[in-house]
Amino acid sequence: MKKQRPVNLDLSTIKMHAAANASILHRVSGVIMVFAIGILLWTLSLSLSSAEGFSQIETLLSGVFFKIIILGTLSALIYHLLGGIRHLMMDLGYFEELASGNATAKFVIALWLVLTIVVGVKLW
Amino acid sequence: MKQIFSIYRYNPDVDNKPYMKDYELEIPEGSDMMVLDALTLLKQKDPTLSFRRSCREGVCGSDGMNINGKNGLGCITPLSAVAAKKIVLRPLPGLPVIRDLVIDMTQFYNQYEKIRPYLINDGKNPPAREHLQSIEEREKLDGLYECILCACCSSSCPSFWWNPDKFIGPAGLLHAYRFLIDSRDTATEERLEDLQDAYSVFRCHGIMNCVDVCPKGLNPTKAIGHIKSMLLTRAV
Repeated sequence: MKKQRPVNLDLSTIKMHAAANASILHRVSGVIMVFAIGILLWTLSLSLSSAEGFSQIETLLSGVFFKIIILGTLSALIYHLLGGIRHLMMDLGYFEELASGNATAKFVIALWLVLTIVVGVKLW
Repeated sequence: MKQIFSIYRYNPDVDNKPYMKDYELEIPEGSDMMVLDALTLLKQKDPTLSFRRSCREGVCGSDGMNINGKNGLGCITPLSAVAAKKIVLRPLPGLPVIRDLVIDMTQFYNQYEKIRPYLINDGKNPPAREHLQSIEEREKLDGLYECILCACCSSSCPSFWWNPDKFIGPAGLLHAYRFLIDSRDTATEERLEDLQDAYSVFRCHGIMNCVDVCPKGLNPTKAIGHIKSMLLTRAV
């Protein structure tokens, strides 16, 4: 064998079902939260530093850009929580069949979208 | 009816990289055939097309492939079930391609070998004749022993894609559980010890692609869940 063998792993050609999407979203939301913690800690430390810092954060938070960041963070948190509970249930032996696993995945994703909209409405 | 196929082609002797090639097949109106039948007909037109097949009835597990984005056996997947204008056939994902739809399954078999897929009995209580099992004990093997090692599940598993050398994969773990709960096997403790690390079993994150694609309708996710419970019970 002269050449390195190719590997067929073009993710755009591979179909993912609901349970797989639920699992991937759980991972993605986890990564988003890791970055979000940095931003949140920065706002916390600035708001605690002085009265000026606090008012600075207040004006920041009323801006659209920061609201989007907060919404994204809360949305990731909501999904990670819901998806995490689903995975914990699976660890306990529930919803491990294809039909039930997909049903809970769709339920979690739907609930997440609804809650994200609710949070969005509250923020604005 | 004209059915279009788009097939992954790679011949290491002439191609520098894989490419997709389109084929057309005339299928008599009102008739159906399996994906493998269509491939065989296409091979008559283009003899360079390579794929594995043997029993052509879903028993040998040779013709696992990615059919329109989902792994399955070509021989038991009817064209009507795929029902697409263009049927895309690609080799099983994540494993090195030898040629066209033929993949190198070494990594897959290595993982299978690791779980020692055979009955281990210390022979301390040798039976007069054979090892007898009660009906209940035998029933525990149902849904596990049917696996034909076609690799559809492991090659659909993201955890296996990223760690094919360390994660046993759904197929291997299904077999591992099959021997863990076999009443005749006495090596349960050693088997669990071998699976104790962070990768072998615990890379499974319940994605369930394995259950989604298994052509035999088996449930590796559930079997892995049982192994996780056994490992946990053992640790506490």
